[in-house]
Amino acid sequence: MGNHHRRARRAEGTYTSLRLLHPFQRIDQWARRTVHAVQLYFALAWKATRFIFARPFYTGDIVQQMDSIGVKSLGIVLLTGFFTGMVLALQFSVQMAQFGATMYLGRLVTASMIRELGPVLAGLMVAGRVGSGIAAEIGSMRVTEQIDALNTLGTDPIKKLVTPRLIAALVMMPVLTILADLVGIFGGNVIASLYVGIPSTLYWRTVWEQIAAGGFLLHYVPTDFVQGLFKPLVFGGLISITGCFFGLETSGGTEGVGRATTRTVVTASVLILTTDYFMTQLLLYILP
Amino acid sequence: MNHDSVIELSHVYLAFDRPLLEDISIAVARGETLVIAGESGTGKSTILKLMLRLLVPDKGDVFVDGERINDLSFEDALLVRQKMGMVFQGAALFDSMSVFENVAYPLREHTDLDDDEIEARVRQKLEYVDLDPDVVMEQLPAELSGGMRKRVGVARGIANDPAILLYDEPTSGLDPLTTGTVSRLIRKLQRDMGVTSVVVTHDMRSAFRIATRIALLAKQRIAFLGTPDEMAASEDEYVHDFLGDI
Repeated sequence: MGNHHRRARRAEGTYTSLRLLHPFQRIDQWARRTVHAVQLYFALAWKATRFIFARPFYTGDIVQQMDSIGVKSLGIVLLTGFFTGMVLALQFSVQMAQFGATMYLGRLVTASMIRELGPVLAGLMVAGRVGSGIAAEIGSMRVTEQIDALNTLGTDPIKKLVTPRLIAALVMMPVLTILADLVGIFGGNVIASLYVGIPSTLYWRTVWEQIAAGGFLLHYVPTDFVQGLFKPLVFGGLISITGCFFGLETSGGTEGVGRATTRTVVTASVLILTTDYFMTQLLLYILP
Repeated sequence: MNHDSVIELSHVYLAFDRPLLEDISIAVARGETLVIAGESGTGKSTILKLMLRLLVPDKGDVFVDGERINDLSFEDALLVRQKMGMVFQGAALFDSMSVFENVAYPLREHTDLDDDEIEARVRQKLEYVDLDPDVVMEQLPAELSGGMRKRVGVARGIANDPAILLYDEPTSGLDPLTTGTVSRLIRKLQRDMGVTSVVVTHDMRSAFRIATRIALLAKQRIAFLGTPDEMAASEDEYVHDFLGDI
């Protein structure tokens, strides 16, 4: 009986259980749990992706998610994009003035925005706003038995909840990124003309020079755009699946919901920054 | 497997961090209301989850309508669940949907009814649980009282006319008057529709009003199984203690 009590107490919290164990056992348990979680994560991603092509299609849910993931994130994404473009222009202008090369400001701002900062900043903003929202919503549904209710009513919760969010994020992240790029470059323009004294016509000509400089894929698509749009697609997938994963894994009442949202934002942000590096490596290799 | 039973658990064992259920065998006969009672944490709700195949036993078998459901695929399990309606402890209404959309949900998912037929069915079910459709249909679950939410939960559970209804603590957190209303509703459903019901509760007053038979869980096992009269007459010390002054 005493043993039962100990085991039951241990089961109450992961952290308590880890503290009570020998260090090697701790590492072993942690490793098992992590590997298991990674397995579940990929299983969820695979199932949600497969359901994109299977009936029934929850079109209403997809549209609603596009609104909450895309349209409602527009404000913060545009705001951060605009200020990032301005601060880039400001910093670059100071550095480039030393070489008398400020006329190339547009090229640098454009390359930085389209290739890196647009996708990554939009990704981080959406991870904070949307990823946490997804985790909170699905987590609350989990702790109030609404996920069990879906199962009981004969609906696959992954199909009903995860797939629409995945589709919406895959569509809306590139759109948000394009807009962030645009206002970022425009922000650069504002600083260039007001602060550095570069005429807008020259600025926009260098912007186009930069876009054209990377070459074109299939004669029409600038390779910078390919890089700039492949990344947000991957980030969209990461954010939606991470939010759904931690939401569905929620346990332990409202406190658990709080934990799920925090984990989502941290994990999604780390995943965005690390995959960004590897994708850049890969894309530079494929599209030099 | 007993062929008269709609749901049967046969020598079921289940453990999470500690043993929860040991050698549980219950057969629910067609048309009866079986109440599963017991202290908190004895695994009453777990038994419902086993019946719905939201959980799979470590050992032993679960049958629904004569079909063994242990090894069903996820998709086949969804089909088995369509035979059952479940009323959750906190009603588990989808809080992003109106009352109408909640009750209509199983109809939209699993029937070919058109919008008019669905509306007619939703109205009928809401009236059946003593709610005024014109008042509640467009409301959100958050705007309802606990008792109303529970009744909407019942309406959603019966929308599809399931042959089996499962209730998880249907009267917990309700005032005595509303408890009476919900108990009457469970009896009415059994009488009018002949549904087979499994009710998990620790409210013994309500259990005695609705049960055909009562199973009492204690120490991972079934401590008692019999009619309410047999239970009241039981000499068993634990049964006696559990019933208290009812």
